Amino acid sequence: MAVTIRRLEESDEVENFDCGDEPLNNYLKRHAWTNQQKVSIGVTYTAVDESAPRIVLGYFTLATSSVPRNRLPRKYVRGLPPYDLPLILLARLAVDRRFSGRGLGHALISEALKITLRVADEVGCRCIVTDAYSDKAGWYARYGFLPLEGTAATSPQKMFLDVRTIRRASSIDSFLPERA
Amino acid sequence: MRPTVKSKKAVALTAKVPTARKSKFQADLAPSEDSMVRILKTELQMTSNTDFLTDALALLRWAVSERKRGHHIISESSTGERKILLFPRLERVAPEVTLPHVDIHWTDKELESLAELASGQPADPTDALIRAMRQ
Repeated sequence: MAVTIRRLEESDEVENFDCGDEPLNNYLKRHAWTNQQKVSIGVTYTAVDESAPRIVLGYFTLATSSVPRNRLPRKYVRGLPPYDLPLILLARLAVDRRFSGRGLGHALISEALKITLRVADEVGCRCIVTDAYSDKAGWYARYGFLPLEGTAATSPQKMFLDVRTIRRASSIDSFLPERA
Repeated sequence: MRPTVKSKKAVALTAKVPTARKSKFQADLAPSEDSMVRILKTELQMTSNTDFLTDALALLRWAVSERKRGHHIISESSTGERKILLFPRLERVAPEVTLPHVDIHWTDKELESLAELASGQPADPTDALIRAMRQ
């Protein structure tokens, strides 16, 4: 399977996408294109196989956001620059369950983090945050996402990854054996 | 025709310039890709792989430079229908990544936790993160 990750296109086939989670399926089928092209509240990137380049195998959605400086606790503000805190929201990430276990999730988050780094380099952002389902928090933690305290028990777990950590990861040149 | 005269000094300087070493390029192509190369060479009336690679390189170099400047590469049909080239590797060199802005609902405790993490020293990258950035 030769996977390509690119922006969602109008002619992409999304109707049969099934990641096992109805809100995530529904977002791709009903809202992703509109949100990207018409109301501009999120850009969706899709993983497709080069042999069937219209069928979406997985996707993630990114948006930018910021936290007003005056909403941050004073005791921490001294360590931050005197501006609102810009960040990237990894709003959604899902893989069609018929294609799970083939490294698509890794490929998708890899691309999301590379885009994050490019945005940080071009316009500035301090971190990437995501809302993780509780059973997926461990998967995000493998990539260094740290859980934020204070998330309500009924809500997805907000998780944080510092852009400086991503940048450091991208500059490490040491040998790492491939995972078995 | 106006005669050109080279001084002895100029000739000597020219002689000292080392000849640029040519690199050899070898690629393993799938049968379908090999067939595609042959078809393209025929269509473009090329006989050598060197000419083919040189032209392909020039085209790719131009595409990269255009995307680096933020220009989109578009084909336009005779009826005015336009298609934008979206080539993932080219998108990586594009300067502008435009992402829309959204508001996030935060609890006070989440903001405190966010501020604490953002104002502190960054964590060391995990092995999975290093692999992701290398992919």
